[in-house]
Amino acid sequence: MKASLRPMGSSITRREALGGAAAALVLASCGGGDAPPGGGPKPGSGAALLGSLLALEHAVVAAYASCEEVLRGDALRTARAIAEQERAHVARLQGLIRDLGGDPPAGRSAEEYARTFPRLRDGDDALRFAEDLEQRQVRAYLEALTELPDLDLRTAAAQIGADEGAHLGAVRVLQGLPAAQGPFVTGAL
Amino acid sequence: MAERSDLELLEDLLALEHRLLSAYEAALRRAVIGPELGGALRDQEREHVRALEQALAGAGRRNPRASVPPPELGAVLRDRDAFARFALDLEDEAVAAYAQTAAAIRNPRLRQPLGSIMACEAAHGVALRNALGTGSLVD
Repeated sequence: MKASLRPMGSSITRREALGGAAAALVLASCGGGDAPPGGGPKPGSGAALLGSLLALEHAVVAAYASCEEVLRGDALRTARAIAEQERAHVARLQGLIRDLGGDPPAGRSAEEYARTFPRLRDGDDALRFAEDLEQRQVRAYLEALTELPDLDLRTAAAQIGADEGAHLGAVRVLQGLPAAQGPFVTGAL
Repeated sequence: MAERSDLELLEDLLALEHRLLSAYEAALRRAVIGPELGGALRDQEREHVRALEQALAGAGRRNPRASVPPPELGAVLRDRDAFARFALDLEDEAVAAYAQTAAAIRNPRLRQPLGSIMACEAAHGVALRNALGTGSLVD
């Protein structure tokens, strides 16, 4: 996966610390260095890319569990609903990888993920963290759209990417922001 | 069924965008959507129309299809909830259409930008659910 990792500068804002850099750590630790799925998928089948997306989804599920510890009310209910959908994405990606003859990568332990997460002091911290993770997920699925070789795989990536776009909108609304930051969530025609 | 050309796929998306744009313009005129939300959604749909027209021009389109406002619009302009539900259905339709097209279009350079509009339409759905004030922000 081509997740772009922002280097942590010498002076960073609290938002960057909770969002960008922390999420970059999550991504760096969730799959970029993992071996592609085992088994026998053909090179170029898309299984390795799906494995990277799956590793990211595993990390995001763990991240929402951390966020839920400090969220309350509507934000907690929404985070739980999002986490449920992320778990469904995990299952869908696992199925796609198996269909290609691959062995879906397992997630890491909650403790391993937790070591890479920022300390979330309150709901605001959690929502900023979630927003950055969702942005990175949208970007990852849109990049996969250009790289996956098969129409059915691209369709799945697009559908999951649409879910991530809605999640991103939801965590922005919960912060009092417009659901869509602009007409193009990443890039433009 | 014969596979559709990139031109035809983009034309279909443009027709959907015109329906969305017409809907938000009419809703703003009739004050059945808040001016801040309605204005933001209208402006973003306008940007999508502009981008699709550019893509169509790049794909060789010469004669734009005429766009017609959706016939069902009159009935839903009576109150805010009715319009929000109508617009939500239209946004959901747009998300599904973009997902299908972004996956199917032959020109790989168009897949990611079409996906970025899809993600924006998905966020519009969240904004409309929030405006309705019922149920979850995510479907």
